[in-house]
Amino acid sequence: MSGSGQPWAARFMPRTVKEIVDNEVAIGEFIRWVKSWEKGPPEKRAAFLHGPPGVGKTTTVVAIANDFEFDLLEVNASDTRTGRRLNEVIGRAATQSLTVFGRRRMILLDELEGVSGREDEGGIAAIVSIIKETRSPVVLVATSATEGWEEKFGPLREISLQIEFGPIPFSDIVSRLRSMAKDVGVSVDDEAMELIAERSKGDMRSAVNDFEAVARGKQHVSAVDLDWLGERDRQAYTPEVLSRIFSAKTVREARQALSSAFITYDDLFEWINENLPLVLDDPADLDEGLEALARADIHEGRTKRTQEFRLLKYMFNEMTGGVAMSRHLSEGSVALKQVRSRLAGLGYLPSAFTISETPDGILVRPVRYLGNDWGRVNSSLKGLGGSWTRGEGFWVIPYFRPPQIVWRYRATWHSRRVRKSVSERVAAKCHISTAEAIRDVIPFIKVMIENEEMEDKIAGWLELKKSEIKWLRS
Amino acid sequence: MSDGMWAEKYRPQTLADIVNQVEIVSRLCHFVEVRNLPHLLFVGPAGVGKTTAILALARDLYGPQYRSFILELNASDERGIDVIREKVKSFARTAAIQGGVSFKILIMDEADSLTSAAQHALRRTMEIYTKTCRFCLIGNYSENIIEPIQSRCSIFRFGPLNEADMKRRIRTMAQKENVELLDEGLDAIYESSKGDLRKATNLLQAAAATKGGIVDDMAIYGVLGHVSPKKVREMIDLGLRGDFLGAREVLRSLLIDEGLAAEDILRMVYSEVLRLNVAEQWKVKLSDAIGEVDYRLTQGSRPEIQLSALLAKLVLAGEEMGR
Repeated sequence: MSGSGQPWAARFMPRTVKEIVDNEVAIGEFIRWVKSWEKGPPEKRAAFLHGPPGVGKTTTVVAIANDFEFDLLEVNASDTRTGRRLNEVIGRAATQSLTVFGRRRMILLDELEGVSGREDEGGIAAIVSIIKETRSPVVLVATSATEGWEEKFGPLREISLQIEFGPIPFSDIVSRLRSMAKDVGVSVDDEAMELIAERSKGDMRSAVNDFEAVARGKQHVSAVDLDWLGERDRQAYTPEVLSRIFSAKTVREARQALSSAFITYDDLFEWINENLPLVLDDPADLDEGLEALARADIHEGRTKRTQEFRLLKYMFNEMTGGVAMSRHLSEGSVALKQVRSRLAGLGYLPSAFTISETPDGILVRPVRYLGNDWGRVNSSLKGLGGSWTRGEGFWVIPYFRPPQIVWRYRATWHSRRVRKSVSERVAAKCHISTAEAIRDVIPFIKVMIENEEMEDKIAGWLELKKSEIKWLRS
Repeated sequence: MSDGMWAEKYRPQTLADIVNQVEIVSRLCHFVEVRNLPHLLFVGPAGVGKTTAILALARDLYGPQYRSFILELNASDERGIDVIREKVKSFARTAAIQGGVSFKILIMDEADSLTSAAQHALRRTMEIYTKTCRFCLIGNYSENIIEPIQSRCSIFRFGPLNEADMKRRIRTMAQKENVELLDEGLDAIYESSKGDLRKATNLLQAAAATKGGIVDDMAIYGVLGHVSPKKVREMIDLGLRGDFLGAREVLRSLLIDEGLAAEDILRMVYSEVLRLNVAEQWKVKLSDAIGEVDYRLTQGSRPEIQLSALLAKLVLAGEEMGR
């Protein structure tokens, strides 16, 4: 099949606007604006497409340029950061409406969030002057997930047509993945499909990438294959942020790390929570650090209850500075110890592997060919977030791991749903709360249904489905 | 007739069927005779017949169609007092005319789990709808119900079932279900259920399920071994031995996989800690730490973090004990 070597995100990218199903309103608005150029430059000579990552902003521009036969000059704004460079690359193009071959031209400035208002002086100003003079449509694309972006692009937003893209609905991601699965000939469990769609949070690109990562070269994909799937772009920088927080010498330093994070403070809180015991291995430090996090949680609770957002800063101080200042005697070598003890647990002598600490994580290289034993070492190290590097022949175990609690919620999503529906029925039938049902009654039901006759009666009485009986039996 | 769980199958349907709580039943029968009743507050431990009594009263009052005239809410399952108020509003808006009674009955279980602010809001709702709706609030302790609500209700205190009543009921059920119940089995049921008839009945039924119809004390202890939360003890032991990550793993499986409420986990931790084989002063210290976490659960928004902080205290305590 042609194109089968490409990444799936590229292979299945819509080529024409008809293939794009979501964000109809935004796309309609954009098409109207592009068409308005037929009568000469309109009042707003730039369109500013913004929205969360992976929802089809750039794809839309490329597809429409294709459909309306524009020559697209694509500039990645983050690669071309200064005003002077921008002018060199697109300044001239902007003042000519046609290419040398007589085709109309469209200028796309992608990844605008890479242009920083302050540091790259002149960057934003250069774009503003290009827009004022352009004779070709200029399309600006920015991801609006980063903090403070609205201020930063203020001058640009005033002179351009604002078009907002929203996240892709869950069901559309699922149906897209289904049709891809059919094309590549992979059968995928519903649960796995829904988990991929759910974790993407409306980001089609990351859903497709995740899907490719777990499905490529396979005939069948189930939920267990999703273990340890990286959380992609959104978390690319988080380990760095964590290491800055845990090694901060001042509260100020720790707080600054927080504002440099690309994830929400909520998510970062969970990252800190997950990794704190790996860093604070001294019991007194651990107690102090978790006390700081517990206090952070209380400040957050008060903020939410009172809606007094000035209280939130105390939460931030505790979860960053409070945690950083808890480190007194800890060696921070839990991850290394865990690796050693896992390998010892599998019956290996320390000399069977060379273990080294690198900036990317702990590197574990087998001294001898492992043969059939590779599988069990791999699954043990995978439990610590490790991954095998195929060409190199070693595992890398990261120092920080993504919040397992989040993953756990996702992995148990199906069984929690079953539990909820069973406990609600038990609660209604027995005139109790769902918490009581889970705590006081369901444990007994689990014993009762081991008896076949009783199982029939109880299943009938509670109208249990097969999957629910299976859950009660597990 | 419900055939599934015996606790429901043998739940008394009318006030006359209730054999224990004689005082309470006779007063409730009086309300049925005069076809009127005040707001009610039923307090007492689990499984002693509070919900049974109000359901039986409703059936006696309204007849077999009683379900149309009552609304059962469980405060711990409702999302906030505003949702409760809305439900009360739409339920109480229309008056009931049935059997010479012109009001409906709203049953609010676990009313003592409502915050005092929510209870004050509930009190106003009670006043607004007094004409068309009587409230029956149910809880474990009357101290947790605000004074203004208490003063507007007739309070009924349900005690645990006494040994004779409890054993008679369990024996009757066993006979009807053709279960061979030995005396040791019955003693074990009574000992481990402490007057909670629902638990006793569930024990009987689960034991009957496992042992081919013969229920002795071993069968009962076998069931108790299955249903008691061993994981809580395991979590505490791991913490005291210094394995924080292991303990946290168990905590997460209790919270997420098993879906236990943080308050319930904490309650189990508390009773396990009192039974620990450690110096008494440590029990005091740990109890104090648990008390702090218990309060913080109401203040914060992440139960997992508050319970993790407690596990860190266990690790620290374990280390200091070892010195």
